[in-house]
Amino acid sequence: MNREEILLGNGAIALGLLEAGCQVVTSYPGTPSSEILPEVIRLVKSEGLHTYVEWSTNEKVALDNAFAASITGKRAACCMKQVGLNVAADTLMSAAYQGTVGGLVIISCDDPGPHSSQTEQDTRFMARLAKVPVLDPSTPQEAREMAGLALALSEEFRIPVILRPAIRVCHARQNIAFNPIEENGPKASFEKDPQRWAATPKFRLTLHGELNKKLEKIGKRFEELPQVNFHNLEEGKSYPLGIAAGGVPFAVVRDILMEEKRDDIPLLKLGAPYPFPRSLADEFLKACDRILVIEETDTLIEYLFGERKKVLGRLSGHVPAEGELVPQVIHGIINRVLMELTLPPLPEDEDGEALALVQQLELPVRRPTLCPGCGHRAAFFAIRKAQPKAIFTSDIGCYTLGLNLGAVDTCLDMGGAITMASGFYHSFSQDDIDQPIVATIGDSTFFHSGTAGLINAVYNDARFILVILDNLTTAMTGMQPTPALGTRADGSQGKAVSLERAVAGCGVDFIEVVDPYGTKDMSDTLKRAFEYVKEPQGGIACIIARHPCIIAYREEAIPEKKKVAITDDCTDCNFCLDRFECPALYHDEELERTNINRQICSDCGVCLQVCPKGAIVEVEA
Amino acid sequence: MDARNILLCGLGGQGILFMTKILAQTALAKGFNMMGAETHGMAQRGGSVISHLRLGEVENSLVRTGSAHILLALEKNEGYRNLPFLSNGAKMFVNAETDDFPVEAAKAFLKKNQVTYHTIPASALAEDLGAPLSSNLALLGFFSAFDEGPVSHDELRATIENISPDRFKDNNLKVFDAGLQRGRQKRGK
Repeated sequence: MNREEILLGNGAIALGLLEAGCQVVTSYPGTPSSEILPEVIRLVKSEGLHTYVEWSTNEKVALDNAFAASITGKRAACCMKQVGLNVAADTLMSAAYQGTVGGLVIISCDDPGPHSSQTEQDTRFMARLAKVPVLDPSTPQEAREMAGLALALSEEFRIPVILRPAIRVCHARQNIAFNPIEENGPKASFEKDPQRWAATPKFRLTLHGELNKKLEKIGKRFEELPQVNFHNLEEGKSYPLGIAAGGVPFAVVRDILMEEKRDDIPLLKLGAPYPFPRSLADEFLKACDRILVIEETDTLIEYLFGERKKVLGRLSGHVPAEGELVPQVIHGIINRVLMELTLPPLPEDEDGEALALVQQLELPVRRPTLCPGCGHRAAFFAIRKAQPKAIFTSDIGCYTLGLNLGAVDTCLDMGGAITMASGFYHSFSQDDIDQPIVATIGDSTFFHSGTAGLINAVYNDARFILVILDNLTTAMTGMQPTPALGTRADGSQGKAVSLERAVAGCGVDFIEVVDPYGTKDMSDTLKRAFEYVKEPQGGIACIIARHPCIIAYREEAIPEKKKVAITDDCTDCNFCLDRFECPALYHDEELERTNINRQICSDCGVCLQVCPKGAIVEVEA
Repeated sequence: MDARNILLCGLGGQGILFMTKILAQTALAKGFNMMGAETHGMAQRGGSVISHLRLGEVENSLVRTGSAHILLALEKNEGYRNLPFLSNGAKMFVNAETDDFPVEAAKAFLKKNQVTYHTIPASALAEDLGAPLSSNLALLGFFSAFDEGPVSHDELRATIENISPDRFKDNNLKVFDAGLQRGRQKRGK
């Protein structure tokens, strides 16, 4: 029997890339895309391939690198989350005009929900904006096939192709049968053609014309690609209602119609929705009196149909305009439309009673929190203590959860902690208001998007404290290495880039490194930093709060275990619960005071520095 | 065969994904097709975690409300939170003390929907065996005693033996067996 494995959707994509001879894969981690590159590396190692892989410093950097590989004739892929494509948008728009040589697939993973993102944006619209084709898989198996299809299409039409798996593809698991993987990629060669690869605006007009012609041809191809675009209309038959769907919603609709044996409702699948397969869509329009479009997360297919009277969807108010289209939601949408059209409905979902019961039980809300023993918590505690009146700008990463400790006021985008700090500074100083500002940003995020904003802030004489929360890893997305470590994606050694030197290189003169586990040290450093910020000859003060991530470095993170207990001195004031917010500390209803959850306490002992009454004490292990 | 829908829930860090992996791997070895859906990213930092596992000829990875056949809850409140997923006649296995589940308010609902439930103090059991982080295996062993299918306890045990890292293997099996034992006692009553 062939080898079969249960793969994450991201693993299936990795397999599809390698099966198609992809020679270069670049990425910046971000949920739900983060596992694609590690899965590529796992397979490269097990199959003895020579694929080049890298964690790039950000998505634009990743896409530039993959694009260069493509125009040397190699097949290349670049993986990111959907908001990462915003960072890489500059490259995408231009690359669409210039075209490719070797196949280039941009894998941009969407997050309807959103489960772990700033927005629910729809990558398919980025494809439309850039004028590049987009493929929208419904299952891990299909994502694997589409990875290869994308590379082949890209090479045939010399255009970058976007693969848009949504989170329910990326983080679905499915059993996948392996095919043999052979390495047969071409050797790098670059044919100089400045009118294309260094095109000035005059030639860009020509390239735009070429791009439009390519799209027309690809649109025709998408009409004859029955593995991804198809319907199940019976010849000559007409229907009161048909459903058009792509991506994850297609899988849900298909399962519901199968389970309920509703073969009276035909289905149009658009796995390659742009450029729009017009004639296929027209066949469906002709055969159905009404078409319900179910797509995530926006209205691409609905717009492209262009038939407002016949087509129902978000624009007609039949599909919710935000949130994930989970099966029960889709079930409800189909039923509402069936009833409106006086067609036989699906059996009613009877979850109303259960939902009411769950409401009535008033279950505790489980908000995500920093881990017990996390160095960020200690840093936030010290920051809040030293600068209670500051505006706290922060950034994207685990440390966004500093908002639970009242030490995060803003979180906009990657690098936004620094740029918003300078923006706040100038807005207040314009009115002679002395407003303290403390920015917090993680080490990986600083390398991703921090430096440009920091150079700008130094140059324009903004004044604030910048705390780089350095946990020596990219924690939130699953412990990818950062440039400061020097360890590369595949575990090989690169050259470490010093965080201190990078900060100094941005023009910052006050740089101090502290271990936030010593909250007193950290507070004292913050006070000195604040003095420096206010001095006429001062500037931006940078504190690097360095403590290894408790998950990535379980042993090193807590060099000296301290068992703690709570004494009867506890007055139940909740100071530790509010300001330190360690999940191992909880209010014990029976004792009527704070207590410690031994099961999750990491014995870091930082809370010994927290209680104003001295009721948290160290005890014999 | 109609799809078999299994839900596993609890809190981030309780080992839901490992428990799902054992079930899925065992089902695959038996020749089932499977689809599963997992929680990653921000929610893993101590939030509610839910894992969907569907065995059979399905394309979508999410269990619809009202259609789960089996619910394994590593934390009782997360068990309550996911009640809307249960199908009529579903089986529920909960990490809780016997007299701590279900609350009065939930009893009528469970009865009306013919949901059978069984409790095991999986956390206490795992802690007594010196493996406080293995309540997931205690619950899985307990579940396997009831032969609710589609995989047997011997098959699950073989998977645990296969996929556990060497340094955890003995402990994992010990906790799984202890859970199984509890389940058998409970069934015997």
